[in-house]
Amino acid sequence: MSLLGSVKAALFEVIDPELGINIVDLGLIYDVQVEGNHAKITMTLTTPGCPLHDSITNGVKFRVNQLKGIDDVTVDLVWEPAWSPDKMSERAKEKLHFG
Amino acid sequence: MKSETNIKLPLSFIIFGIIAFVVAQSTLFFGHDFIANGQFRVPPIWSGSHFLLLGFAVMIAMGAMYQLVPVAFLTPIWNEKFGAVQFIVTALGITSFAILLGVHASYAIYGGAIAIIGILMFLFQMLKTLQAQSKKNVMSYFVIGALSALFLAIIAGFTLAWNFSFTPFVSQDPMLFTHITLGVAGWFTLLIFGFSYKLVPMFSLSHGFSMKWAKPAFLTYVIGLVLLIGSYWLETHSIQTVGWILLCGGFTFFGLDVREILTKRLRRKLDKPFAFAVFAIGIGFFVHLIAAILSIAQVKSPTVWSWVVFFYIMGWVIASILGYLYKIIPFLWWTYKYSERIGKEKVPTLKEMINEKASVILFTLFIISIIGLTIGGLYSIGIVVFLFQGLLTITSVLYAISVLKIFFI
Repeated sequence: MSLLGSVKAALFEVIDPELGINIVDLGLIYDVQVEGNHAKITMTLTTPGCPLHDSITNGVKFRVNQLKGIDDVTVDLVWEPAWSPDKMSERAKEKLHFG
Repeated sequence: MKSETNIKLPLSFIIFGIIAFVVAQSTLFFGHDFIANGQFRVPPIWSGSHFLLLGFAVMIAMGAMYQLVPVAFLTPIWNEKFGAVQFIVTALGITSFAILLGVHASYAIYGGAIAIIGILMFLFQMLKTLQAQSKKNVMSYFVIGALSALFLAIIAGFTLAWNFSFTPFVSQDPMLFTHITLGVAGWFTLLIFGFSYKLVPMFSLSHGFSMKWAKPAFLTYVIGLVLLIGSYWLETHSIQTVGWILLCGGFTFFGLDVREILTKRLRRKLDKPFAFAVFAIGIGFFVHLIAAILSIAQVKSPTVWSWVVFFYIMGWVIASILGYLYKIIPFLWWTYKYSERIGKEKVPTLKEMINEKASVILFTLFIISIIGLTIGGLYSIGIVVFLFQGLLTITSVLYAISVLKIFFI
């Protein structure tokens, strides 16, 4: 698997503790770039002013930094475009509906 | 930007608050005879009610604000060390004030003065914090309105304590009613409204709602408060009735927004503690409606109104806090214990940190207790008040154990 693929796969392991769903299925990840050993992740949260703000972004940094070949991680938290439910995967929607 | 407050600060307030909740209910249990006879202006009831409203509700609200204001307004707390000193001063002040009210009311002003210094320090902290917020939103106005009401409530409260200790210089009854209205309806209700606009969409994962009733809710409720307080001093019943109708209208507008938020939620199954906080909104609406109807019908019985106030405090304010607290404590503890581990290892979800089944039993017991107490109190049946205040005291102990257990996960 490429380093980019590894970073994307690692993000599936970062779980939103309130919803119990990973941040990729929630549609919070907008973009992932890898240049050399530097990963840049552009992401959002379901709402500005989410109390889990720092925890989730730090979780992303920790998890991606653990990958072999990555020495530096930048998390760019953006509010535009705003998160909307249609960004969620079917799996996440199903979990929220029945969870 | 780091938006989270050091967890020790809000946790200190919250742990103090939970202990005060048990002390309050136990004190009120010892005063059950007075409750049954409709005698609320006696030392055990003063002491218990101030342990409940200041020791529990105000301290919990302060702790929650230290945690929520930075994240909801994207503005860090102005000075956390000042916050730690504020906690110590307020805790000492409230404890000594509530105890003195019970054992030596004429000295209560000294404890009250320390409590007021603590509350003023909190208001100063919030003023400095909110000043830094670049763009105010509807939630800001509710919070600013709530803080203003708290400021006026403590001035009214200090005046009452002065009357007890020295020569009275204003009428006691209008000042007492002003104090209760500002403290309970002004401070708590506006604060719960404001934070509900943030917490209800967040906990239900709602999207695409309008909040179109927020401004009318704020304005109507504040005008209602002003008229209600004015009616105490002018002794004009018609103004009181208009005041209650406006308060009921303001609550209805808020309720319409909550209904829309919940209709547009993505999370179909709500967590039980949060569902209880939403249920408390229903009770709040019911109490406002009853108060407006009683005022229109010109019911003036002090006993009836005392129990309306009781149900307002317990069914709306305290129930909301108990529900939200069951969500806030796991969050705080999770942040302290697991936020550094997210992404590194498997960490529990917030839901896994609480016992939902136990919470349902506790919330049910709480509702049964306050309904039983109200019926017993309205009909002055001593044994019913004894049993249900006893049940409420046991429930408060079990609630405290249930939430404190989270710290051992």
